[in-house]
Amino acid sequence: MKNSTLNLRDLVILVADPSPYMCMLANSMLRGFGANKAVDARSSIDAIQILTEQKIDIMLCDSLLPPHGGLKLTQAIRRNVTNPNRTVPILIMTSDTRESTVRSARDAGANMVVAKPMSPSSLYDRLSWIAFNPRNFVDAPSYFGPDRRFKIEGFPTGVGRRQGDKAIDVSEETGPTLAQDDIDNLFNSSRVG
Amino acid sequence: MSKNGGAREFAVETDFQKKVRRPGGVTRNQAIGRARVQIDTLKSEFTDWLSEELYRLQAAIQMAETYPDNEMLLEDAFRSSCQLRDVGTTMGYELVTFVASRLCEVLDTVRRGAGYDKDLIACHLDALQLAGQDSYKNVSPDQVPDLCDGLRRAAERSISATGRAEK
Repeated sequence: MKNSTLNLRDLVILVADPSPYMCMLANSMLRGFGANKAVDARSSIDAIQILTEQKIDIMLCDSLLPPHGGLKLTQAIRRNVTNPNRTVPILIMTSDTRESTVRSARDAGANMVVAKPMSPSSLYDRLSWIAFNPRNFVDAPSYFGPDRRFKIEGFPTGVGRRQGDKAIDVSEETGPTLAQDDIDNLFNSSRVG
Repeated sequence: MSKNGGAREFAVETDFQKKVRRPGGVTRNQAIGRARVQIDTLKSEFTDWLSEELYRLQAAIQMAETYPDNEMLLEDAFRSSCQLRDVGTTMGYELVTFVASRLCEVLDTVRRGAGYDKDLIACHLDALQLAGQDSYKNVSPDQVPDLCDGLRRAAERSISATGRAEK
Protein backbone atom coordinates (compact mmCIF):
# COMPACT_ATOMS: atom_id res chain seq x y z
CA MET A 1 0.00 0.00 0.00
CA LYS A 2 1.53 3.29 -1.11
CA ASN A 3 -0.39 5.65 1.11
CA SER A 4 -0.28 4.35 4.62
CA THR A 5 -1.22 7.49 6.53
CA LEU A 6 -4.63 8.88 7.42
CA ASN A 7 -5.24 12.59 7.77
CA LEU A 8 -8.45 13.12 9.74
CA ARG A 9 -7.79 16.76 10.55
CA ASP A 10 -10.84 19.02 9.95
CA LEU A 11 -13.00 16.08 8.90
CA VAL A 12 -16.40 16.19 10.57
CA ILE A 13 -17.06 12.81 12.16
CA LEU A 14 -20.49 11.93 13.55
CA VAL A 15 -20.41 9.36 16.36
CA ALA A 16 -23.93 8.03 16.96
CA ASP A 17 -24.12 5.86 20.07
CA PRO A 18 -26.59 5.87 22.97
CA SER A 19 -23.79 5.56 25.53
CA PRO A 20 -22.01 8.81 26.40
CA TYR A 21 -19.02 6.82 27.60
CA MET A 22 -18.80 4.86 24.33
CA CYS A 23 -18.94 8.16 22.42
CA MET A 24 -16.14 9.49 24.61
CA LEU A 25 -14.11 6.35 23.96
CA ALA A 26 -14.62 6.53 20.19
CA ASN A 27 -13.80 10.24 20.23
CA SER A 28 -10.58 9.53 22.16
CA MET A 29 -9.48 7.03 19.56
CA LEU A 30 -10.33 9.44 16.75
CA ARG A 31 -8.42 12.25 18.51
CA GLY A 32 -5.46 9.90 18.71
CA PHE A 33 -5.75 9.39 14.95
CA GLY A 34 -5.60 13.17 14.48
CA ALA A 35 -9.30 14.04 14.22
CA ASN A 36 -10.35 17.35 15.74
CA LYS A 37 -14.01 17.68 14.78
CA ALA A 38 -16.37 15.08 16.20
CA VAL A 39 -20.09 15.47 16.75
CA ASP A 40 -22.11 13.11 18.97
CA ALA A 41 -25.67 11.84 18.60
CA ARG A 42 -27.47 9.71 21.17
CA SER A 43 -30.39 8.64 18.98
CA SER A 44 -31.41 8.26 15.34
CA ILE A 45 -33.49 11.40 15.68
CA ASP A 46 -30.46 13.43 16.82
CA ALA A 47 -28.37 11.90 14.03
CA ILE A 48 -30.93 12.73 11.32
CA GLN A 49 -31.14 16.29 12.59
CA ILE A 50 -27.36 16.70 12.51
CA LEU A 51 -27.17 15.14 9.04
CA THR A 52 -29.73 17.56 7.65
CA GLU A 53 -28.10 20.59 9.26
CA GLN A 54 -24.44 20.08 8.44
CA LYS A 55 -22.02 18.29 6.16
CA ILE A 56 -20.70 15.13 7.75
CA ASP A 57 -17.62 13.41 6.35
CA ILE A 58 -18.08 10.01 7.98
CA MET A 59 -20.51 8.49 10.46
CA LEU A 60 -19.82 5.84 13.08
CA CYS A 61 -23.13 4.39 14.13
CA ASP A 62 -24.11 1.87 16.81
CA SER A 63 -26.32 -0.93 15.52
CA LEU A 64 -28.61 -0.59 18.57
CA LEU A 65 -29.01 3.17 18.31
CA PRO A 66 -32.46 3.98 19.73
CA PRO A 67 -35.24 4.07 18.84
CA HIS A 68 -35.11 1.94 15.68
CA GLY A 69 -31.46 0.83 15.44
CA GLY A 70 -28.48 1.92 13.37
CA LEU A 71 -29.36 -0.22 10.35
CA LYS A 72 -32.76 1.43 9.96
CA LEU A 73 -31.03 4.81 10.24
CA THR A 74 -28.52 3.80 7.55
CA GLN A 75 -31.36 2.75 5.29
CA ALA A 76 -33.19 6.03 5.92
CA ILE A 77 -30.08 8.07 5.05
CA ARG A 78 -29.46 6.12 1.83
CA ARG A 79 -33.11 6.27 0.74
CA ASN A 80 -33.61 9.98 1.28
CA VAL A 81 -32.95 11.51 -2.15
CA THR A 82 -32.86 15.05 -0.75
CA ASN A 83 -30.29 14.27 1.94
CA PRO A 84 -26.97 15.97 1.07
CA ASN A 85 -25.22 13.31 3.15
CA ARG A 86 -26.80 10.44 1.23
CA THR A 87 -23.45 8.95 0.19
CA VAL A 88 -21.67 9.59 3.51
CA PRO A 89 -19.46 6.64 4.50
CA ILE A 90 -21.18 4.74 7.33
CA LEU A 91 -19.33 2.46 9.71
CA ILE A 92 -21.61 0.31 11.85
CA MET A 93 -20.38 -0.56 15.36
CA THR A 94 -21.88 -3.76 16.71
CA SER A 95 -21.28 -6.52 19.21
CA ASP A 96 -23.44 -8.85 17.20
CA THR A 97 -21.02 -10.12 14.59
CA ARG A 98 -23.11 -13.01 13.29
CA GLU A 99 -22.91 -13.28 9.52
CA SER A 100 -26.62 -12.54 9.23
CA THR A 101 -26.15 -9.23 11.07
CA VAL A 102 -23.17 -8.23 8.94
CA ARG A 103 -25.21 -9.04 5.83
CA SER A 104 -28.09 -6.93 7.12
CA ALA A 105 -25.72 -4.00 7.70
CA ARG A 106 -24.37 -4.39 4.18
CA ASP A 107 -27.88 -4.59 2.73
CA ALA A 108 -28.89 -1.46 4.63
CA GLY A 109 -26.12 0.42 2.81
CA ALA A 110 -23.33 0.49 5.40
CA ASN A 111 -19.76 0.70 4.12
CA MET A 112 -18.24 -1.43 6.83
CA VAL A 113 -18.84 -3.06 10.21
CA VAL A 114 -16.55 -2.85 13.21
CA ALA A 115 -16.95 -5.23 16.15
CA LYS A 116 -17.42 -4.01 19.68
CA PRO A 117 -15.52 -3.94 21.99
CA MET A 118 -13.64 -1.70 19.60
CA SER A 119 -9.86 -1.39 19.69
CA PRO A 120 -7.81 1.45 18.16
CA SER A 121 -6.33 -0.95 15.62
CA SER A 122 -9.69 -2.34 14.48
CA LEU A 123 -11.11 1.16 14.07
CA TYR A 124 -8.03 2.47 12.25
CA ASP A 125 -8.01 -0.48 9.83
CA ARG A 126 -11.63 -0.01 8.93
CA LEU A 127 -11.23 3.73 8.39
CA SER A 128 -8.24 2.98 6.14
CA TRP A 129 -10.25 0.46 4.24
CA ILE A 130 -13.04 2.93 3.58
CA ALA A 131 -10.54 5.64 2.67
CA PHE A 132 -8.38 3.71 0.25
CA ASN A 133 -10.85 1.28 -1.27
CA PRO A 134 -13.56 3.47 -2.77
CA ARG A 135 -16.51 1.53 -4.09
CA ASN A 136 -19.05 2.51 -6.73
CA PHE A 137 -22.54 3.30 -5.56
CA VAL A 138 -25.53 1.35 -6.78
CA ASP A 139 -28.93 2.94 -7.19
CA ALA A 140 -31.53 0.22 -7.63
CA PRO A 141 -35.25 0.11 -6.82
CA SER A 142 -34.60 -1.92 -3.68
CA TYR A 143 -31.14 -0.68 -2.72
CA PHE A 144 -29.07 2.47 -2.62
CA GLY A 145 -25.54 2.29 -1.28
CA PRO A 146 -22.00 1.11 -1.89
CA ASP A 147 -21.63 -1.81 -4.29
CA ARG A 148 -22.11 -4.91 -2.18
CA ARG A 149 -19.92 -7.10 -4.40
CA PHE A 150 -16.54 -6.78 -2.73
CA LYS A 151 -14.02 -8.87 -0.93
CA ILE A 152 -11.58 -7.87 1.81
CA GLU A 153 -8.11 -9.06 0.96
CA GLY A 154 -6.25 -7.69 3.95
CA PHE A 155 -6.48 -4.16 5.21
CA PRO A 156 -4.99 -1.40 3.05
CA THR A 157 -2.19 -0.48 5.40
CA GLY A 158 -0.68 -3.79 4.44
CA VAL A 159 -0.66 -4.87 8.06
CA GLY A 160 -3.88 -6.82 8.00
CA ARG A 161 -5.50 -8.24 11.03
CA ARG A 162 -3.19 -11.20 11.34
CA GLN A 163 -0.20 -9.38 12.80
CA GLY A 164 -0.20 -9.49 16.56
CA ASP A 165 -3.28 -11.68 16.68
CA LYS A 166 -3.40 -13.57 19.91
CA ALA A 167 -3.48 -17.34 19.89
CA ILE A 168 -6.99 -18.54 20.46
CA ASP A 169 -7.99 -21.20 22.91
CA VAL A 170 -10.96 -23.14 21.71
CA SER A 171 -13.20 -24.03 24.61
CA GLU A 172 -15.00 -27.30 25.01
CA GLU A 173 -18.12 -27.64 22.95
CA THR A 174 -21.16 -26.79 25.04
CA GLY A 175 -23.81 -26.61 22.36
CA PRO A 176 -24.53 -25.13 18.95
CA THR A 177 -22.89 -21.75 18.45
CA LEU A 178 -24.55 -20.81 15.18
CA ALA A 179 -28.21 -20.15 14.58
CA GLN A 180 -29.86 -22.15 11.81
CA ASP A 181 -30.05 -19.01 9.62
CA ASP A 182 -26.30 -18.58 9.84
CA ILE A 183 -25.70 -22.21 8.96
CA ASP A 184 -28.02 -21.84 5.97
CA ASN A 185 -26.18 -18.70 4.89
CA LEU A 186 -22.85 -20.49 4.96
CA PHE A 187 -24.19 -23.08 2.56
CA ASN A 188 -25.69 -20.52 0.19
CA SER A 189 -23.40 -19.88 -2.75
CA SER A 190 -22.51 -16.19 -2.81
CA ARG A 191 -20.89 -14.08 -5.48
CA VAL A 192 -17.90 -12.05 -4.40
CA GLY A 193 -15.52 -9.71 -6.21
CA MET B 1 -21.92 5.31 -14.99
CA SER B 2 -23.48 2.01 -16.03
CA LYS B 3 -26.98 0.61 -16.03
CA ASN B 4 -27.75 -2.97 -15.26
CA GLY B 5 -31.27 -4.34 -15.00
CA GLY B 6 -32.79 -1.10 -13.70
CA ALA B 7 -29.84 -0.49 -11.37
CA ARG B 8 -27.56 2.47 -11.94
CA GLU B 9 -23.94 2.18 -10.89
CA PHE B 10 -21.80 5.27 -10.46
CA ALA B 11 -18.51 6.32 -8.93
CA VAL B 12 -18.57 8.46 -5.80
CA GLU B 13 -15.52 10.09 -4.32
CA THR B 14 -16.63 11.35 -0.94
CA ASP B 15 -15.03 14.25 0.89
CA PHE B 16 -13.81 11.73 3.42
CA GLN B 17 -11.86 9.86 0.76
CA LYS B 18 -10.46 13.08 -0.72
CA LYS B 19 -9.43 14.71 2.55
CA VAL B 20 -8.11 11.68 4.38
CA ARG B 21 -5.37 11.19 1.76
CA ARG B 22 -3.97 14.69 2.20
CA PRO B 23 -0.33 14.90 3.24
CA GLY B 24 0.35 15.37 6.92
CA GLY B 25 -1.47 12.28 8.12
CA VAL B 26 -0.34 9.84 10.77
CA THR B 27 0.90 6.31 10.22
CA ARG B 28 -0.96 3.33 11.63
CA ASN B 29 1.52 2.78 14.46
CA GLN B 30 1.57 6.45 15.43
CA ALA B 31 -2.22 6.66 15.33
CA ILE B 32 -2.76 3.55 17.43
CA GLY B 33 -0.12 4.60 19.96
CA ARG B 34 -1.69 8.05 20.32
CA ALA B 35 -5.17 6.57 20.58
CA ARG B 36 -4.03 4.33 23.43
CA VAL B 37 -2.64 7.33 25.27
CA GLN B 38 -5.98 9.11 24.81
CA ILE B 39 -7.87 6.07 26.12
CA ASP B 40 -5.61 5.93 29.17
CA THR B 41 -6.78 9.40 30.14
CA LEU B 42 -10.33 8.04 30.37
CA LYS B 43 -9.46 5.15 32.65
CA SER B 44 -9.71 7.19 35.82
CA GLU B 45 -13.30 8.10 34.93
CA PHE B 46 -14.16 4.54 34.02
CA THR B 47 -14.76 3.24 37.54
CA ASP B 48 -17.20 6.11 38.23
CA TRP B 49 -18.98 5.44 34.96
CA LEU B 50 -19.06 1.72 35.72
CA SER B 51 -20.75 2.19 39.12
CA GLU B 52 -23.26 4.62 37.59
CA GLU B 53 -23.99 2.23 34.73
CA LEU B 54 -24.41 -0.72 37.12
CA TYR B 55 -26.82 1.34 39.20
CA ARG B 56 -28.71 2.30 36.03
CA LEU B 57 -28.86 -1.34 34.93
CA GLN B 58 -30.21 -2.46 38.31
CA ALA B 59 -32.83 0.27 38.23
CA ALA B 60 -33.80 -0.65 34.66
CA ILE B 61 -34.17 -4.31 35.62
CA GLN B 62 -36.23 -3.42 38.68
CA MET B 63 -38.54 -1.34 36.50
CA ALA B 64 -38.79 -4.15 33.93
CA GLU B 65 -39.76 -6.56 36.73
CA THR B 66 -42.34 -4.17 38.16
CA TYR B 67 -43.94 -3.45 34.78
CA PRO B 68 -43.42 -6.67 32.76
CA ASP B 69 -45.85 -5.58 30.03
CA ASN B 70 -43.80 -2.54 29.14
CA GLU B 71 -41.35 -3.81 26.52
CA MET B 72 -39.44 -0.54 26.43
CA LEU B 73 -38.25 -1.09 30.00
CA LEU B 74 -36.76 -4.46 29.12
CA GLU B 75 -35.20 -2.81 26.07
CA ASP B 76 -33.58 -0.21 28.38
CA ALA B 77 -32.14 -2.97 30.57
CA PHE B 78 -30.85 -4.83 27.50
CA ARG B 79 -29.24 -1.67 26.11
CA SER B 80 -27.65 -0.89 29.45
CA SER B 81 -26.11 -4.37 29.69
CA CYS B 82 -24.87 -4.01 26.09
CA GLN B 83 -23.09 -0.78 27.03
CA LEU B 84 -21.25 -2.54 29.87
CA ARG B 85 -20.29 -5.36 27.53
CA ASP B 86 -19.03 -3.00 24.80
CA VAL B 87 -16.75 -0.91 26.97
CA GLY B 88 -15.41 -3.39 29.55
CA THR B 89 -12.62 -5.04 27.57
CA THR B 90 -11.35 -1.80 26.03
CA MET B 91 -10.84 -0.42 29.54
CA GLY B 92 -9.17 -3.56 30.94
CA TYR B 93 -12.24 -5.12 32.60
CA GLU B 94 -12.56 -8.26 30.53
CA LEU B 95 -14.67 -9.95 33.19
CA VAL B 96 -17.25 -7.15 33.04
CA THR B 97 -17.57 -7.75 29.30
CA PHE B 98 -17.89 -11.51 29.87
CA VAL B 99 -20.66 -11.28 32.51
CA ALA B 100 -22.47 -8.44 30.72
CA SER B 101 -22.34 -10.46 27.53
CA ARG B 102 -24.00 -13.42 29.29
CA LEU B 103 -26.62 -11.06 30.72
CA CYS B 104 -27.25 -9.66 27.23
CA GLU B 105 -27.91 -13.20 26.01
CA VAL B 106 -30.31 -13.86 28.89
CA LEU B 107 -32.20 -10.59 28.35
CA ASP B 108 -32.25 -11.18 24.60
CA THR B 109 -33.99 -14.54 25.07
CA VAL B 110 -36.55 -12.78 27.29
CA ARG B 111 -37.03 -10.14 24.55
CA ARG B 112 -37.74 -13.00 22.16
CA GLY B 113 -40.44 -14.40 24.40
CA ALA B 114 -38.67 -16.71 26.88
CA GLY B 115 -39.75 -16.64 30.51
CA TYR B 116 -38.24 -14.05 32.86
CA ASP B 117 -36.06 -15.73 35.48
CA LYS B 118 -35.58 -13.26 38.31
CA ASP B 119 -32.93 -15.37 40.10
CA LEU B 120 -30.85 -15.85 36.96
CA ILE B 121 -30.80 -12.12 36.32
CA ALA B 122 -30.02 -11.37 39.97
CA CYS B 123 -27.03 -13.70 39.90
CA HIS B 124 -25.69 -11.94 36.78
CA LEU B 125 -26.11 -8.57 38.50
CA ASP B 126 -24.17 -9.87 41.53
CA ALA B 127 -21.43 -11.17 39.26
CA LEU B 128 -21.27 -7.80 37.52
CA GLN B 129 -20.88 -6.00 40.85
CA LEU B 130 -17.96 -8.29 41.62
CA ALA B 131 -16.37 -8.01 38.16
CA GLY B 132 -16.48 -4.22 38.38
CA GLN B 133 -14.32 -4.11 41.49
CA ASP B 134 -10.76 -2.85 41.14
CA SER B 135 -9.35 -6.17 42.29
CA TYR B 136 -10.91 -7.86 39.25
CA LYS B 137 -9.37 -5.47 36.75
CA ASN B 138 -7.20 -7.34 34.21
CA VAL B 139 -8.74 -10.63 35.32
CA SER B 140 -9.89 -12.76 32.42
CA PRO B 141 -12.81 -15.22 32.59
CA ASP B 142 -10.52 -18.25 32.47
CA GLN B 143 -8.91 -17.07 35.72
CA VAL B 144 -12.24 -17.34 37.54
CA PRO B 145 -13.67 -20.64 36.28
CA ASP B 146 -15.98 -21.08 39.29
CA LEU B 147 -17.79 -17.84 38.58
CA CYS B 148 -18.09 -18.60 34.87
CA ASP B 149 -19.27 -22.17 35.45
CA GLY B 150 -21.73 -20.92 38.06
CA LEU B 151 -23.30 -18.53 35.56
CA ARG B 152 -23.43 -21.21 32.90
CA ARG B 153 -25.05 -23.72 35.28
CA ALA B 154 -27.59 -21.14 36.44
CA ALA B 155 -28.52 -20.43 32.80
CA GLU B 156 -28.85 -24.16 32.05
CA ARG B 157 -31.01 -24.68 35.15
CA SER B 158 -33.23 -21.81 34.10
CA ILE B 159 -33.63 -23.19 30.56
CA SER B 160 -34.52 -26.66 31.79
CA ALA B 161 -36.94 -25.23 34.39
CA THR B 162 -38.63 -23.19 31.65
CA GLY B 163 -38.83 -26.31 29.51
CA ARG B 164 -40.47 -28.26 32.37
CA ALA B 165 -42.92 -25.42 33.03
CA GLU B 166 -43.91 -25.32 29.35
CA LYS B 167 -44.61 -29.08 29.33
